[in-house]
Amino acid sequence: MMRRLEPQSGEFIDRSQPLKFTWNSKKLVGFAGDTIVSALLANNEQIISRSMKYHRPRGVLSADYWDPNTTVQVGDEPNVRAGHRLLETGIKVSAQNVWPSLAYDIKAANRLAGRFLTAGFYYKTFMKPQRLWPLYEKVLARFAPGGVVDLNTPHGYHDKRYAHVDVVVAGAGPTGLAAAISAAQAGMSVMLVEHNHRVGGHLLWGSDQDRETAAELANLAKVAGVEILTDSTVTGRYDDNWVAIAQRNHPGVVERLIKARAKTLVVAAGLIERPYVFAGNDHVGVMLSGAARRLINNYAVRPGHKAVVLTANAQGDATVSDLERAGVEVVAVVDGRKGQTISSASGSSKQLKTVITSDGSKLEADLLVTAVGWTAPTSLLNMAGDRPSYNPTAARFFPTALPDNVLASGGIVGDGSLDELIAHGRSTGKLAAQRAAVIQHRLRTTVTRAVKPDGTEPPLPQDTRKPLVIAPHPELYRADTHGMVDYSEDVSSKDLLGAAAEGFDSVELVKRFTTATMGPSQGKLETVNTVAVLAEAKGETIEQVGTTVWRPPYAPISLGALAGRVFEPVRVSSIHEWHEANNMTPILAGQWIRPEHYGDPNAEVANVRNNVGIIDVTPLGKLDLRGSDVTKLLNLVYTNKWSKLPIGAVRYGIMCAEDGVVFDDGVTGRLSENHYLMSTTSSGAAQVWQWLEMWLQTEHPEWQVHVTPVTTGYTSINIAGPKSRELLNRLVDDVDLSSEAFPYMNVRIGTIAGVSNCIMWRIGFTGELSFEVHVPSGFGLHVWEQLLAQGADLKVHPFGLEAQRIMRLEKGHFIVGQDTDGLTKAPTTGLTPLIKLDKEDFAGKPELQWSLDAGAAGLPVLVAITPNDPSLVPDEACQILRQGTTEIVGRITSSRFSPTLQRSICLGQVASEFAAAGTELTMRLCDGSDATATVCTHHAHFDPEGVRLRG
Amino acid sequence: MIGTNRGPRYSGAGLLWRGLRKSNWPRVWRDTPLKKSYDVVVVGGGVHGLATAYYLAANHGITNVAVLDKAYLGSGGSGRNTAIVRSNYLTPEGVAFYDRSLALYKSMSADLNLNVMFSERGHLTLAHTDSAVRTMRWRAEVNKLQNIDSSVIGPDEIKKIAPSLDTSPHTRYPILAALYHPPGGTIRHDAVVWAYARAADAYGVDLHQKTEVIDIECAGGSNPDGKGEGAKVTGVKTSKGDISARVVVNCTAGWAGLIAGMAGLKLPITTHPLQAAVTEPVKVFLPTVVVSGSLHVYVSQTDRGELVFGASVDPFATYDMGGTLDFTEELAGHVLELMPAVSKMRLLRQWAGLCDITPDYSPVMGFTPVEGFFCDVGWGTYGFKAGPVSGEQMAKCVADQATPELIAPFALSRFEHGMLVGEKGAAAVGH
Repeated sequence: MMRRLEPQSGEFIDRSQPLKFTWNSKKLVGFAGDTIVSALLANNEQIISRSMKYHRPRGVLSADYWDPNTTVQVGDEPNVRAGHRLLETGIKVSAQNVWPSLAYDIKAANRLAGRFLTAGFYYKTFMKPQRLWPLYEKVLARFAPGGVVDLNTPHGYHDKRYAHVDVVVAGAGPTGLAAAISAAQAGMSVMLVEHNHRVGGHLLWGSDQDRETAAELANLAKVAGVEILTDSTVTGRYDDNWVAIAQRNHPGVVERLIKARAKTLVVAAGLIERPYVFAGNDHVGVMLSGAARRLINNYAVRPGHKAVVLTANAQGDATVSDLERAGVEVVAVVDGRKGQTISSASGSSKQLKTVITSDGSKLEADLLVTAVGWTAPTSLLNMAGDRPSYNPTAARFFPTALPDNVLASGGIVGDGSLDELIAHGRSTGKLAAQRAAVIQHRLRTTVTRAVKPDGTEPPLPQDTRKPLVIAPHPELYRADTHGMVDYSEDVSSKDLLGAAAEGFDSVELVKRFTTATMGPSQGKLETVNTVAVLAEAKGETIEQVGTTVWRPPYAPISLGALAGRVFEPVRVSSIHEWHEANNMTPILAGQWIRPEHYGDPNAEVANVRNNVGIIDVTPLGKLDLRGSDVTKLLNLVYTNKWSKLPIGAVRYGIMCAEDGVVFDDGVTGRLSENHYLMSTTSSGAAQVWQWLEMWLQTEHPEWQVHVTPVTTGYTSINIAGPKSRELLNRLVDDVDLSSEAFPYMNVRIGTIAGVSNCIMWRIGFTGELSFEVHVPSGFGLHVWEQLLAQGADLKVHPFGLEAQRIMRLEKGHFIVGQDTDGLTKAPTTGLTPLIKLDKEDFAGKPELQWSLDAGAAGLPVLVAITPNDPSLVPDEACQILRQGTTEIVGRITSSRFSPTLQRSICLGQVASEFAAAGTELTMRLCDGSDATATVCTHHAHFDPEGVRLRG
Repeated sequence: MIGTNRGPRYSGAGLLWRGLRKSNWPRVWRDTPLKKSYDVVVVGGGVHGLATAYYLAANHGITNVAVLDKAYLGSGGSGRNTAIVRSNYLTPEGVAFYDRSLALYKSMSADLNLNVMFSERGHLTLAHTDSAVRTMRWRAEVNKLQNIDSSVIGPDEIKKIAPSLDTSPHTRYPILAALYHPPGGTIRHDAVVWAYARAADAYGVDLHQKTEVIDIECAGGSNPDGKGEGAKVTGVKTSKGDISARVVVNCTAGWAGLIAGMAGLKLPITTHPLQAAVTEPVKVFLPTVVVSGSLHVYVSQTDRGELVFGASVDPFATYDMGGTLDFTEELAGHVLELMPAVSKMRLLRQWAGLCDITPDYSPVMGFTPVEGFFCDVGWGTYGFKAGPVSGEQMAKCVADQATPELIAPFALSRFEHGMLVGEKGAAAVGH
């Protein structure tokens, strides 16, 4: 039985373009312009879903995006709004949450148990026996509603757009269009965002005259230069009008996120029709007036044959004439304005058959249309801080107070004729434009370090709009029977009354207990009915009960659109391609990919110890510090003193958080009077930068310091080994590299292999004579290759991170974050001499003062450890126990086999009573066995005097 | 429920009986007028406050107790957290504390006769870098010695537990290993609030919602207004009237500093928002809790089918719970790095809660320099996990007028001596 009507003057469908699709594997045909729902109805498919708990058959309710009954799976996309999504050729549509099929659903048996499955029933049972709960849980989880995630769904490619517009208008009904037009005519750039596929709002399913008006307004908007986005939703309004827009019709992607910093936001989101609560209100064949009108006028679908209409407003009245025009027999019009209502609706699972009115009349009908009022979607206004209040005359909520940069127009703020609505929209657009100009001025003056614009701020234009009237509307919420309040959650008015009687009697508690309004439409259709039923339960007014806070997003937005592309690139140095071409084994170190080794780390160690090696240490954090107050900053963030650092010198320092815990270390060199280069750990680079900026911006904005991260601006190479000076000498002419002229812990600027402005400092993590050179990145590879070419006879060989780690462990250098942790205070590392408590202040000083006053008692100590079995290399996690117990007294933090010493060596943290040299330790290895080890005298297993380093 | 007051037990049989008789259940807790005087006033009707009140009554026989909340019960962090519980902490203090909490959670449904839906679904903490793997091993080794079930597993085993995770080595943040903690899981946070509320009420504890504390009355203190160090608490002024009380327990999390300020105390606490979000429901596919410290995200799927996400605490101090767009963007980006297959799922709702952060990320519990004014605050991002044991210990502290050993490290006075404790290492890796 086809339900498609003869061509309608306002139809969206293109009858010349049939589209094939499948519905639960059944082959069907619709037209271009159809929504999935209109195509299904045209094919006489009335049951679109099953309800969550009772698996009741559900058909169309609102036939739009918010319809709780028409969520379907399309291919690998779950939870598609079939009342909104346009039909596409070849799509595979299926019902969700049904088993085994939509038509015969076994879980519908739950309906029989409905009286026992009251809201929140699961809180009251399945407690004993406790061991069975996991089983119960599995069963409950099977009732989870929604579609299916295909685990093969690709990540997809999502871009975002940043829009820089003056005015964003949410909603392109007549008021939104009018507002956009007048704001644009006032010279503002305007973005008009419409949730549906076409602009015009309710005019589209009105009269031909209405549609003409809509077309005229749309044309005016285009001419005025308004950017119109359809099938797009303003999903959020955040601080300072940071506006998020989900654009669903951008080619090639599911959704695109547009972010706009609107100077003013106009909310003209219209009204959402509210269902009526009565027995059988979720029956297939019961729908809202807007749904009936859209189906007839826009999709040429006849929603039924014999209809009863409950109307309390003009839209309901218009539905009656629409139905009659479509050949639907209207058996009765029940007028809510005269105190008449509906009591119940019933029929078979497939079809509505009987409607009983409040006066007891029993009517035969397969369609019941209700028009009982509106919910104002004040969501965006909520996000702007507004708390709406209820007006019983109009039977809906209205905004109370909005910030200067948010304006509302249309149904959200009042009623009126079409002309009055358009006039209000126009004056709203004008005001939005005036305010945008003032806010523009304000924004420019508040930007720091910029040239301020001329003139003082103009006064903010006051709101002189003629307010819309508030038309009376009967308060129709619930009949004398109980029905569904939240369709998607299967929560009835009876559930709500029960919950209120149990004491869950505030709107938030009842929501949490029953889950009403927590489903996919987030209360768009359900909230006000929930509040009304609760008010009834408590004997209070709706205003007294109040409403829940609407949270972003206004419409759900895909994770793909939110994610966009991840702007967290993998970081590599300018020498990376060379490493790849030369047998690098890569390792992930934070964001970086680095060479772990080039084949044999032990040979790399031997070559550094005997000849010379070069390592790419570009990931080392580098911050360029300039200004007259840099020493003040260094004194504040490092524990040691920096006031007397001579030009050309480099100093090591540790940084502590305010709790005295070491969070970074590195060297800083003074390049000239007011110019320093700071190095940080590779993983701590970003954190240290933030830390410096935090002190500069929040505590000492008066300090003259400019911090520039230059980590990747320089390619950093460490040349290490007894022949490193000889090698570097071959490439450098303008700096005397001799030990006398360029001693240990000094810095020079010079030219390396023809590359000027290279920074060289004499420091070393490996324990060998070494030079660390920072070369402008563009020349990094050149210098690297020159070092290898010029040093061939010196047996220069690159070495990787692993060899460096072995050598630093041989030398006893600790690594922040490996040998220290989130609890390690500075004294633990053995660097107490670097804690200068006589400084006026530094980060962590009070904590360290306390620790040192107490003789660092209770703090663990970082010590070098050698396993008694020299061939045993314990895991870098194994715990040190008090002998004969499982009491943890320390742990191994670093552990390697030393090729130089031909034995295993470790660093570890131990309780102070175990820290004395020669103490025997018990290690619990990761395999559960125990082994012994001994504490060493010095952190350095190799060259403790540092002869090689200073050579 | 072993209350003195009354109340039918919740049970399947009860549901059946009431279903047949079509009768409603009685009130879950009484609606009582504010009395003029209470022995103990607990400020804050979240898990901590309600548990404190419950254990005061149940374990110590102190029943003339009021719990005050400016909104509704569970309206703060208790109803906003992501309801993850675990006990694989790093320090012995942390493990002892949370293990006790986990035990109380596990038996809560039976103990309090309300199903809090504890779901022991396991807890995976992912490691994406070499150094994170090392930290995981450390935690696993420590936990092993403390008899906590927690171990390091590799990508293949991770894939078996959570097939939706992309464990291939070619992702931006490859999953190298994970710390797997089978006893961890989720719980229905609201139910915990209601269970404690109902149980406390059964002992005669008065629960006052929409009752905002306006001031705390003190005498004899060092401040000009008689508050501050050395003062004694005498009562509480509320939006619904004045109460005289000698003991006030501050369990107000994000608002802890404001309440303490009313007694003339300045706490070393700043309030930061912690944001969370939830998707539309889909059929259950993620059987475990997944946490990635480096990606600042944790995710679990509720029995209702929604994915619940949380992140790390926002770096700025504010009482604003509006939430940000940036949070959802970063969150989605990181979630898709872990589980690309959910790219077409939609975010349904975002929200924020307030966290009371101390300098050492550890709570402030027990006595304060104002006599009769107790604190159970500073819980930061992990107060929910600690709710039951905190209530138990705070009740003991108030009843015995002595600090129980389990909470001794968390005394406010530690900030005067620099004896900070730290679960920072463990807490920072998140939930």
